[in-house]
Amino acid sequence: METIVELKDVTKVIKGRTIIDHISFQVNKGEVFGFLGPNGAGKTTTIRMIVGLMGLTSGDIIIGGSSIKSEFEQAVGHIGAIVENPEMYKFLTGYQNLVHYARMSKGITKEKIAETVELVGLTERIHDKVKTYSLGMRQRLGLAQCLLHDPDVLILDEPTNGLDPAGIREIRDYVRLLAREKNMAVIVSSHMLSEMEMMCDRIGIIQNGQLIDVQLVHDFVQSSEVTFEFEVLPSDKALALIEAHYPNVRAIRSRNGISVELTKEDIPNLVKLFVDDNISVFGIKEVAKTLEDRFLEVTSEKEGSTRG
Amino acid sequence: MVNLIKNEWMKIFKRPGTFVMIGILIVAVALFGIVIKSQQNDMDFTQDKNWEQVLQEENNALKQQMDQSQTKTDKQFYKKEIAINDYRIKHHIPTKEQYSVWSFVKDTSQLIILAGLFIIIVSAGIVASEFNWGTVKLLLIRPINRTKILLSKYLTVLLFALFMLAILFVFSMALGASLFGLPDNPLSYLNYNNGQVTEQNIVVHLLVYYSLSSIDTMMLVTMAFMISSVFRNSSLAIGLSLFLLFTGGQFTELLSMKFTWTKYILFANTDLMQYFEGTPMIEGMTLPFSIFMLLIYFLIFLFLAFFVFKKRDIAS
Repeated sequence: METIVELKDVTKVIKGRTIIDHISFQVNKGEVFGFLGPNGAGKTTTIRMIVGLMGLTSGDIIIGGSSIKSEFEQAVGHIGAIVENPEMYKFLTGYQNLVHYARMSKGITKEKIAETVELVGLTERIHDKVKTYSLGMRQRLGLAQCLLHDPDVLILDEPTNGLDPAGIREIRDYVRLLAREKNMAVIVSSHMLSEMEMMCDRIGIIQNGQLIDVQLVHDFVQSSEVTFEFEVLPSDKALALIEAHYPNVRAIRSRNGISVELTKEDIPNLVKLFVDDNISVFGIKEVAKTLEDRFLEVTSEKEGSTRG
Repeated sequence: MVNLIKNEWMKIFKRPGTFVMIGILIVAVALFGIVIKSQQNDMDFTQDKNWEQVLQEENNALKQQMDQSQTKTDKQFYKKEIAINDYRIKHHIPTKEQYSVWSFVKDTSQLIILAGLFIIIVSAGIVASEFNWGTVKLLLIRPINRTKILLSKYLTVLLFALFMLAILFVFSMALGASLFGLPDNPLSYLNYNNGQVTEQNIVVHLLVYYSLSSIDTMMLVTMAFMISSVFRNSSLAIGLSLFLLFTGGQFTELLSMKFTWTKYILFANTDLMQYFEGTPMIEGMTLPFSIFMLLIYFLIFLFLAFFVFKKRDIAS
């Protein structure tokens, strides 16, 4: 895999306060990188530094081999971005907006503009003034704006803010499609965990300006023990039985029966015990931990350790 | 760069406000024309037969006054008047000239201040509006460095200024020609410089006159641009610049009666006409001095605008 964006020891100090504290990570081509953190953790600041809207106090950001500090034009040429809501010129039409941005990059033809408009599905309304657009349409125009010059890196800051479920899904599908088909690297920031779980390959968690953890979403969610839910009757008897045979296993009563944290290999054994003891087993299912659970776990661990 | 200027031009001309400004400017010129036309009907134009004699008498009187006058600047003034009168007598150029298109164009140069007001509004908004609209984020993540973006904005302001002044000039000329007619023989303007009287083509003279009259406006346009870039606030830029545009000259004149350091104030130097016709505001001021001061102010304004814009973190 080829690294396209690299942050090296990036630090940002504003008025004596360290907003971003020595962050380093890489993003590869063709991957969707999620940037996760509570509000005020420094997500947006980091993204603004990557796109060149904010200067770096120290460290460097390399995009496609060019430093954002010394070779701004080359570095930024690789990037297409939406930073927060895509604010467009409301008194211009969608098409005029795109022409405006097309003039600012090299070699964007009319055909390319038409093609991009087609891709985001705005062909019918593109010659209307932007002030008549819905939020979803503005979001799509924003996406068109950053795809015009076929960037290698797509940066979306809170792309799903204020969108309805259909709009969120649309953005998600585009992002996946672009990463797969055009081998783009996509960096998405959000505090919407469920979104990130569905969209990203890898996530970095940022808190208080520090990068706590970078992991594959899959590993991240799966990295703790798995919980199984047993639908059994009577549940009291089942709980007592587990306590007798597996004293170290945590078992609690849940909505439909009991939930037990144990490994997969133990399941047949446990079922046999239940059956032998005349406990009716209606169903067993694996309860995967959500990103949300893990995120709260990780951030509160850190919180605890820094406080304690 | 051409593309960037095209962009800025599009953003100015896709807003209805711009056309309102142009409309007001044209209406103002039209009103000006109507008022002058209606007054002109009252006074019939007749050329005094003995104008040469009158002029000669006037010259004699002026000579007397010159001998009595104390200051050097007064003497200069009389000398100039006499020289021009002598030239008229010698070359048979009557003093009274029929009110023609050229007189009208010269009169409408007073409307430069109105055009200036509109240019300042555009200049004050061209950077600050991007911040207000939030579009600055998408504008600055293009592969073009900020200096070029700001330069394209400033050049667009200059182009817009040229455009507004051209509208004023051309429309005044068209209206003047249709209301007052073209003069029978091509007129020339008598220029006095270093004791020498020369004839200058009237159109050239008017163009020079317009450019010189626009200097204070252009300095304030540049200042509005600077405030707009530094404070990201178009109201402040418009307010302060307009206030100074309308009052700066008078204030400086008041101050100049008491203090000599007034000559370092911008407005003491914006009226370059004072060196060609009339006397400088403060004794000892010269044309090169004023040009130098103007250049210094201009460079300070632009330096502040570019420096702050380049360094700014876009965080809103």
